[in-house]
Amino acid sequence: MRPYYSKKRLSIIRAMAPRTYLLALISLGILCGCSVTSRLEPYKQTDAVLGEDDRVVILPRRHHASHEAERSFVDCVSNGLAQGNEGLGVHISTVFEDRLYPWFEPSTAPLSIDDFSELLKKPGVHEQVRLSKVRFIIWLDGSTDRVASGGAISCAASPFGAGCMGLAWWEDDARYDATIWDIRDLSSAGTIYADYNGRSVVPALIIPIPLIARPQAQACRGLTEQLKQFLTTPGGYEPGPELSAN
Amino acid sequence: MQLMQIRAYWRQARLLLGVLACYLLGGCAPVILVDAEFPQPLVEPLPVRIGLLLNEELLAYEYIERIPQQASYTIRIGNANALMMNRLFQPMFAAVESVDDLPLAQPGSSRIDGVLIPELERYEFDVPIGMQDEFVEVWMQYLLRLYEPNGELITEWPISGYGKSELTKTSDRVNAISRATVLAMREVGAVIATKFAEQPEVEYWLQER
Repeated sequence: MRPYYSKKRLSIIRAMAPRTYLLALISLGILCGCSVTSRLEPYKQTDAVLGEDDRVVILPRRHHASHEAERSFVDCVSNGLAQGNEGLGVHISTVFEDRLYPWFEPSTAPLSIDDFSELLKKPGVHEQVRLSKVRFIIWLDGSTDRVASGGAISCAASPFGAGCMGLAWWEDDARYDATIWDIRDLSSAGTIYADYNGRSVVPALIIPIPLIARPQAQACRGLTEQLKQFLTTPGGYEPGPELSAN
Repeated sequence: MQLMQIRAYWRQARLLLGVLACYLLGGCAPVILVDAEFPQPLVEPLPVRIGLLLNEELLAYEYIERIPQQASYTIRIGNANALMMNRLFQPMFAAVESVDDLPLAQPGSSRIDGVLIPELERYEFDVPIGMQDEFVEVWMQYLLRLYEPNGELITEWPISGYGKSELTKTSDRVNAISRATVLAMREVGAVIATKFAEQPEVEYWLQER
């Protein structure tokens, strides 16, 4: 009797094994991978808020070529601020750069509010800024970089079918600084620092199952929310960073 | 035996994918026509009348490079050169006239103070090969020569520009190269518009007018 039960148990285990492994792999992927941790540090040093007719322009810092904010990220934040029921007046960044050409190109853009004050003295610049109705310039600095990656997936195909096996993972870090200038008061209004770290995993047992974390998209959403609050709430920030994991 | 068969199928699949990619890239030889609206610079005009000579080499500039494992790129910048130079120099000086030749036919009776001849000396670009790089980069170097109307060289000034454009779902390599080229050209234009009068020989030449 004893050997019979052992054989039976073994055959059940053999039959269950691929399904169990697959489930375990997926569960492990969901539990361990595809997570984003975030850190937001807003700092506002003025009570200025955006008026009804005022606009805001978001520009990427481009004086260091190695890690300038991606144009897609700038567009994402710009669109995020402009959309929704409480959308703000956002001036298109490329139109603003064209309007004030050549003073907002990488080699000529003002690096401080004092530089911007000097720039306003140049012929035609003050008039163009006034016509644009821009009250706040938001400089976006930073980038999304791959900080780690590992694992491997092997795939093979034959006339009878195809399949993959393995596990791959990677970690992206989206770090951005938003520096806000109040160009009516010619002062620095504050900064918001956002750091979103996301780990993606792709377990593969026959079929690869991508569990992708999108820290850049989450950084865009987080930063947009903070900027909306920053631009519409006088003061409005309590000290200390905001930390979360999801 | 079965493993060898799988490898053979995999090789065939890769070849097929390569051919398909080449077909999608335009027969493995994309032709990029750089075209853009260049803004006029917001600067105070210098009190001189300038003759602008855009030679055939600049107006028909074409850069061809073969990237290993990718494609052969042909980048046509002539049209963009003409657009940029005309938009850039008009607001920079009291008057700008097109000229066809140097020395000018009658330099003594001419109302032109000097002649500018821009030249595109170098063009380089870098496209990502692997999946890690997401940016196309372009470097350009122009040479701007300023002459007296009688053909005497006053100064020559090299100006460099750099442009970078990311590859996105909506911007493929061809669009990204075009955009990075335009950004590099804008950078060159910005340097010319803001630093031309500060060049020592130009400063001296302007004082003499």
